[in-house]
Amino acid sequence: MTPTPPSPGTPIPSSGSPPIPTAPPAPRVPPAPSVGRARRTRSGVVGLYRVLRANPLSFIGFIVVTFIAILALFVVFAPHLVAHYGAQQETGVYNSGPTLFQWPPSLAHPFGTDGASYDIFSEVMLALPTDLGIGFAIAGFALIVGGGLGLVAGFWDKPGSLSGYTSSFIMRVTDVFLAFPSLVLALALVASIGKGTIQAMIAIMLTWWPYYVRLVRGEVLAVKHLPYVTAARAAGVRETKILTRHVLRNVLEPVIVYFTLDIGTVLVIFSTISFVGVGVPYPSNAPEWGSMMSFYQENYPFQIYWWAITFPALAIFVTVLSFSLLGDGLRDVLDPRSRRALAESGAHEPPPEANVGEPPVLPVPAMTAAPSNVGVDVGGVP
Amino acid sequence: MGRSTSDLLVFLGKRLLQLLPVLFGTILLTFVVTHVAAGNTACARWYPHAKPNVIAHCQAQFALPLYTQFFNYFTQLLQGNWGADQYGTAVFPVIASSLPATLELVFAALFLMIVIGIPLGVIAAQYAGRWADHLVRVFYLSGWATPTYVGAIIAADFLARGLGLPSGGEFSTTSVPFPRITHMSVVDALLAGNLPFTVDALSHLILPAAVLAFINMGIATRMTRTSMLEVLPLDFVKSARMKGLSNFVVLYKHALRNALITTTTVLGVEAGALLAGTVVIEEVFGWPGIGAYAFAAIGGAGRPNFDGAIAVVVVFAIGVVVANLIADILYGVLDPRVDWR
Amino acid sequence: MTEPVLKVENLSVDYDVGAGVFHAASNVSFTLPPGRVVGIVGETGCGKSTLGQAIPRLLPEPPAVIRSGKIIFQGTDLVPVPKNKLPMVRGTSIGMIFQEPLNSLNPAFRVYDQIAESIQIRHWREIGDLPMFQPGPTPFDYSHRELPKAEQVLTKPFLPGEKVQEAARHRLVSRDDYKREVLDYLRLVRINDPETILHLYPHELSGGMRQRIMIAMTLSQKPTLLIADEPTSALDVTIQAQVLTLMKELIEEVHASILFISHDLGVVAEMADDLGVMYAGALVEIGPIAEVFKSPRHPYTKALLRAIPSQYKTDGPLASIPGNVPNLSRLPSGCSFHPRCPLAQAICRADPPPALPDTPHAAACHFSDQVASLP
Repeated sequence: MTPTPPSPGTPIPSSGSPPIPTAPPAPRVPPAPSVGRARRTRSGVVGLYRVLRANPLSFIGFIVVTFIAILALFVVFAPHLVAHYGAQQETGVYNSGPTLFQWPPSLAHPFGTDGASYDIFSEVMLALPTDLGIGFAIAGFALIVGGGLGLVAGFWDKPGSLSGYTSSFIMRVTDVFLAFPSLVLALALVASIGKGTIQAMIAIMLTWWPYYVRLVRGEVLAVKHLPYVTAARAAGVRETKILTRHVLRNVLEPVIVYFTLDIGTVLVIFSTISFVGVGVPYPSNAPEWGSMMSFYQENYPFQIYWWAITFPALAIFVTVLSFSLLGDGLRDVLDPRSRRALAESGAHEPPPEANVGEPPVLPVPAMTAAPSNVGVDVGGVP
Repeated sequence: MGRSTSDLLVFLGKRLLQLLPVLFGTILLTFVVTHVAAGNTACARWYPHAKPNVIAHCQAQFALPLYTQFFNYFTQLLQGNWGADQYGTAVFPVIASSLPATLELVFAALFLMIVIGIPLGVIAAQYAGRWADHLVRVFYLSGWATPTYVGAIIAADFLARGLGLPSGGEFSTTSVPFPRITHMSVVDALLAGNLPFTVDALSHLILPAAVLAFINMGIATRMTRTSMLEVLPLDFVKSARMKGLSNFVVLYKHALRNALITTTTVLGVEAGALLAGTVVIEEVFGWPGIGAYAFAAIGGAGRPNFDGAIAVVVVFAIGVVVANLIADILYGVLDPRVDWR
Repeated sequence: MTEPVLKVENLSVDYDVGAGVFHAASNVSFTLPPGRVVGIVGETGCGKSTLGQAIPRLLPEPPAVIRSGKIIFQGTDLVPVPKNKLPMVRGTSIGMIFQEPLNSLNPAFRVYDQIAESIQIRHWREIGDLPMFQPGPTPFDYSHRELPKAEQVLTKPFLPGEKVQEAARHRLVSRDDYKREVLDYLRLVRINDPETILHLYPHELSGGMRQRIMIAMTLSQKPTLLIADEPTSALDVTIQAQVLTLMKELIEEVHASILFISHDLGVVAEMADDLGVMYAGALVEIGPIAEVFKSPRHPYTKALLRAIPSQYKTDGPLASIPGNVPNLSRLPSGCSFHPRCPLAQAICRADPPPALPDTPHAAACHFSDQVASLP
């Protein structure tokens, strides 16, 4: 039989799946401002390794972060090992007389000493767990409170009902809190409840959780309407199971990214607040880099005694930079927008074949109306 | 399609209306945060050297029920009676005259962030995954990881000398031969037509603005990069190339125009970060803005200025809310799919 | 015989992605004579889109690499051309129509601005303000810039009107002239009352309308070669028919040389003079379309044609080709089709099929003659 020329509309029957795999992240899905994706089938560890390998900078960040974490553990559990160069009260040796500033010789006092003969290296080391702890605590609080509220606002969202009003209310309150830069609110708080580390921490906590609300809510909203979630619901899967299995898993990824980035960001802000004079005064038994710098900056002229300020500053810089590098690299792979973006960019672009039927990808105005902005990628962090 | 001029007015009006509850909430929150402590301790802390009748007046205020306090506070705020520091100097006039200087600094930093940060983001997207991308990333993450005061001190003490730039103040002289109309150094010098002083003012402005911009550059750069990465593989970029346009035109006219839509969403965050940064920067560079005022209000040991600090908080919060509003409007204008009705 | 507009010789394009090296195109060769329409068909993932976008060097070069081969356009090999000179070839020499018209028109610009931009580029090139590709021994040498001969510009028969001919002789500076041309080209693509859509954005138009605008935009630059990359795949069937009718009429009016890429055999059957079939990155058969349909010389083509659900088969299962399309990074040895070929012999697994002979109808199969004689 002679085959008649087929009429338009009869595509070539395609056998099997497209041979060209899409890039490691997921198949394309119709977008919302922040699009969920099919679950990654790789296990966590392998995924992390690929992530780190993809970007040398994030790998460096990971190494340094691990090193810092181990160092912190040492300082907490075996302080004499790390900070053994004349811990805080090295009496008897430098007691005699004033002004014993030393240049930093390599062996005895790597970072030099200050006028009261505190070894700066020890001080910096001793401050490490404090600062890390502060960063984790604040970011953790923001994550839990903000994330929880975001989940609520995302799920109980039916407009016009009680859940809708709850969600609206949460978002309005979030907008109000978002308007305060942390340092500024810290000033206000200090005026009313006085100076101190706790006060400074509360100030940052109060201004930080809103970012997580928007992040988590955006993710929940995006995932809630994905075809496979609707399919699961239609198949009769219980709502809670949908919640835990699909939504949480998708939500967790950008949250981890922002948490990592936030540890660094929060640390910088806290040290700035300390510098302004709000935090813990120095010297104390639990030193903190920002307050150290504030104290030294006031009392020791920088031109002559540069090491007093430089090393705590370096400590902050290295810590925050490594956390940021790690988080930024993670974000390239975990954050839905960045991940999709990087997947489609030249770095990993699959051949044009795989683009068949792709709907437009430009971001759409987000659901939260309100004076504040659209989009979920707006953390307090870059 | 609802995008005519009259629709724009409707759009603006709706956004402005949405602004009001947030503004109110902001003031309310400031009030709550600052008046949460009990009267006695607070008053003693705020006015440590004040006369007894001032303290007594303060404590009487705190004895009132909270809503009355807030009502008083709110009405006074609206009337421009923003309190006084403990020596009796009214807060509002000081803020009104210092605010423009801060605005000048913030706008200069914003300008630098846009002019440098956005092209960096485009370059990073263009060479994604290659060394140019890594360089850009290290650049803006270093800025982010630098505490404001560290950057400011380095700039003021070293860079200033190295580059031959002044390291403090708005002008090289304490008084200027022309009237300060707007209280913005460069603008005033320009308005007076005084070229040497304009140059002088610019040379004083550039370092603090550069430090402020460097520290916060990452926000805009990162967002631009992500946005461009989303836009570049789309077919219309290929279409633009197939028209025979050069790479530069394709990137900056066609692709960036679409990528900027999402970049505007971070304007609010940027504004908040910039305003917060001015507190330290103005202090280190001796820039007479409200940031320095806030620093002195709290940081100065033994001379707290409670009313002043509160006032600055309110002003900053209003600034962020307004920046969010502008970002929202910009988004609605830039994205042709947004219906203004 | 005039020289062909496009001659692709042994083109091989690889994608160097982290997961492996994908041979998206392997040794593809074909010729596009002037005024003919060559259709390229293949399943999703066979490399046809890669081929289409490789010709104007549109593929992003870091992951995509042109390993070997030549792309000879009007006598000039495009492969060694440096990237900064490529814009000269695109637009007025090679034009391209994409698949998804919402994505291929810039969402942020109005219809008028987008078409006017194309026209502006063309005008600047015609009057010498911008360098333009000139076929010949020194194609990118624009030191002899002069006003192009009006006859050269004007003999292309799809100029819509007299007034436009006049305008092209002089420098176009006024907005009215641009507007007139834009409207002319919109009418060319059969849009009635084009004044009403000039101020609209792409998302405010229907799919069929957008595709017409895309076509108008491309044609307004008067390209010598037009590459249509699945232009109707994103449209539903009725609109598809309209756009295809339009394109057929334009082909007759314009005498354009078109490379028409599609996965839809029916669409290609309507449009193409010659048909090329691609499988797993290789061009397995090429020839005049009636002959290819009547007596295919490659088992894949034959199986494809048999697999199309046709109106006179009312019972029994649909014929399909067993197996899966191979992963382009792990192509089978010898002939890529041999694992699924019902006629495979030992030689098919051992040796790759011979290169396409120079005959008008050729196939890359060890047994192409035998296949041709099969019923």
